[in-house]
Amino acid sequence: MNNPIVRRELIGALRKPNVAALEVAWLAVLAAVIVLRWPAGGRVNLAGTQAQQVLSLLSWTILVGMMLVAPAFPAASVVAEKRTGTLALLLNSPLSPAAIYFGKLIGALGLPIILMLLTIPGMTACFAMGGVSLVHQVLPLYLIFILVALESAAVGLYVSIRVNDVDSGIRLTYAVLFVLDLLLLIPYRLVADTQNPTFLLIGRWLASFSPLPAMLHVLGANSVHAGNSVNGGTSVITRFVICSLVLSGVLGLLSIQRLGQWLFDRPRASGKITDDRSTKVRAYRRIMYLWFFDPQRRSGLIGPFSNPVMVKEFRTSRFGRSHWMMRLVGICLMVSLGLMLAAAYGSMSFQPQTLGELMVMFQVTLIVLITPSLSAGLISSELQNKSWQLLRVTPLSPASIVLGKLLSVCRTLLLLLFATLPGYAVMLVIDKGQADRVITVLITLGLIALFCLMVSSAISSWFRKTAQATALSYALLLGLFGGTLVFWAGRGTLFSLSLVAGILKYNPLAAALATIHAPGFTDYNFVLTNWWFMLTVMGVAAVVLVFRTWQLTRPD
Amino acid sequence: MSEAPVVETVELTKVYGEFTALDHLSIRLEKGQILGFIGPNGAGKTTTIKILVGLIRPTSGKASIGGVDCTSDARKIKHLVGYMPDTFGSYDNMRVREYLDFFGAAFKIPRKQRQDRINASLAITGASHMADLYVESLSHGMKQRVAIARTLLHDPPVLILDEPANGLDPAARVEMREILLNLAQRGKTLIVTSHILPELARICNMVAIMTHGKLRAFGTLDEIMQSVRHQRMIEIQLLSEEDVTQAAEILRENLGETASVTPAPSEMMVRFNTTGNEQSLAVALQRLVSAQVRVSQFREMQQDLEDAFLSVTQQDKTEIAAGEAQA
Repeated sequence: MNNPIVRRELIGALRKPNVAALEVAWLAVLAAVIVLRWPAGGRVNLAGTQAQQVLSLLSWTILVGMMLVAPAFPAASVVAEKRTGTLALLLNSPLSPAAIYFGKLIGALGLPIILMLLTIPGMTACFAMGGVSLVHQVLPLYLIFILVALESAAVGLYVSIRVNDVDSGIRLTYAVLFVLDLLLLIPYRLVADTQNPTFLLIGRWLASFSPLPAMLHVLGANSVHAGNSVNGGTSVITRFVICSLVLSGVLGLLSIQRLGQWLFDRPRASGKITDDRSTKVRAYRRIMYLWFFDPQRRSGLIGPFSNPVMVKEFRTSRFGRSHWMMRLVGICLMVSLGLMLAAAYGSMSFQPQTLGELMVMFQVTLIVLITPSLSAGLISSELQNKSWQLLRVTPLSPASIVLGKLLSVCRTLLLLLFATLPGYAVMLVIDKGQADRVITVLITLGLIALFCLMVSSAISSWFRKTAQATALSYALLLGLFGGTLVFWAGRGTLFSLSLVAGILKYNPLAAALATIHAPGFTDYNFVLTNWWFMLTVMGVAAVVLVFRTWQLTRPD
Repeated sequence: MSEAPVVETVELTKVYGEFTALDHLSIRLEKGQILGFIGPNGAGKTTTIKILVGLIRPTSGKASIGGVDCTSDARKIKHLVGYMPDTFGSYDNMRVREYLDFFGAAFKIPRKQRQDRINASLAITGASHMADLYVESLSHGMKQRVAIARTLLHDPPVLILDEPANGLDPAARVEMREILLNLAQRGKTLIVTSHILPELARICNMVAIMTHGKLRAFGTLDEIMQSVRHQRMIEIQLLSEEDVTQAAEILRENLGETASVTPAPSEMMVRFNTTGNEQSLAVALQRLVSAQVRVSQFREMQQDLEDAFLSVTQQDKTEIAAGEAQA
């Protein structure tokens, strides 16, 4: 504890008023969760079923809380110091890169550990009810929570060292963790029915990077994707422990290696324009980039009918520039075509529903990951960079500013959605009767894109720091799209079917999956309710956004 | 008859709760004038500027540019003023030309004219070679030039520049001075704040000194110097140490308690401060010569804007201290 960074990071974090608010909110959520499932009438059955239900709900709440809170501080930690210049001071001090890294890591773990300590009374209450094993349930659960916090901190710090602005750090960290925690479960699901032991082994190890299989095993719901039935229960947790420790260790080593003085050894961009280069280079680049997509091309002036804010947003946001956009669209097309080929050759025995499920999952994941990164900084980044006051001294109206900003994100989202459409064409070729469903799904996907855009933009207008707006947008959207699926995973065992149905009707992803009749969602039909929910939220978000922009453009 | 003012504030006041940021400020500027707006941090300079560009609403009083009210006609004001805040407000991933194109389009400059305006603005600020560079890759001095180019895009008659010379190296400061003088020659009225007072003194023909939200001095540089000049410092160069001792004695006898005489034998010089007029200085010199003190030079030390500023702020501190003592 002689490391001064640990002290500074911990004290710095604990002094923040929003951390105090978070702790209070956390306690309130824990209390609500326990009260929700606490046996009525003060009687407990001897089989411990009620204790297990309380334990499950509490544990999933803690896990989701850890997944959302633990990455936020480390993701901003190093990059914020890089921006303010204090990282250079640290690197210039006698502290070694390892000391700086471990100081940051321990500091980053401080808040999750405090949040975990606050859960002990609740866990004790579950244990006191009887039917809950300390050795086989409570302790392994805390081990999983600690490893989730460690993995999140390691990923957050590594990303934070690599990026150059705080909001990129936050969004990239959440994106990586989303892949680790949720997307890596998909390969096992795809190969689960095959008898190929190599595929099964790879799928199982990939799924072990996610804490979900280990959680489900500890809580006694062994039905999902982890393959514990093959290797026995203990190995699920062991695999998770190994995967998270190896990942954290490797990322730690890479981070320490990178935390050197050369971190700042970067030349300024020369900004050389293709038009000013030699004929040979010019010809080569025009062919390679098809002229229009050349990032070094001299761009034309903003047209008379274009919204200048929209064009500005295209030019300043990474995916706004056409070459980046085309790379993203290219990847989407490739994935989509890959699915189409797989289905056409029948090599993986895809049913149209399975293909539809994968397509929906793929598109929603893309939308949920990309939309906040594009829209959570629409207003907040202007406030943060102090460029908002420059916009205020132009004759641009609040409506034109809002419209320009929203349109810039809409174009990117539309391109993404169109790029993934071929998969649906394949579905229709396989089964023409799916046409209505496909149309409903496409409408749902369009609404999801608008929903994410409006929610993130409205959040953006209330923050002066993009990192905070981005973190809150991701927390809300991932909580809604991914968090509520946790209830679905424990349906019938941990949670009653009516509770799951009641919660899922607010999850747009569940609505889309139910529409496409994805396995596990065939019993639900709440697409209309979900549309109304999204439209209502969008309406409120639009009012909030316009009001806030108007307020921000008025004289103080 | 004087020209109609381009910039005018009348009893302009801004109050935040119990704190008065701006207290009945009245100033007037004519076409082509450069106003040096000086004062310590928190004096109310930025508040005044933000009212003039329509970013803040005053509590009372009026501010107008070219006869247009800055509060009620905020939309028109935007076309009349080019504002450069003390922070650059850059957009990442954007080239200088694109950055200026965006602001040009925001000011609704037709596409055909916009390219010419961008080129002209960059040429005036000596930034033509930066057109294709990324904004975030520019040095501080380069960014300041681009920021001024941005204010010129819509060709406003008034430019308000908050700390344009801040953080610039000496060479860049000289270039900035030339740019500002060039703009004034083109008929622009400029309001410039700066903490680098010698720089400001070289370009401004009007000066406003503010402290604690109040205007302490306003006028041409000469008028300001006159109004703040309470004591004159005279320096006499002599030929020997004996002359120094003798001169100090004569001056003390003749000038009495109104002057503080400081002999500097090692430099063979005597310095004294006096509130006396030209007549009393002539008498003192005559006495020295009559007493056969060998005087090689008798000169008044020139006071600069920095002295004027310090004198005004000192006066302000004294008044506050007196007020507190009375309370």
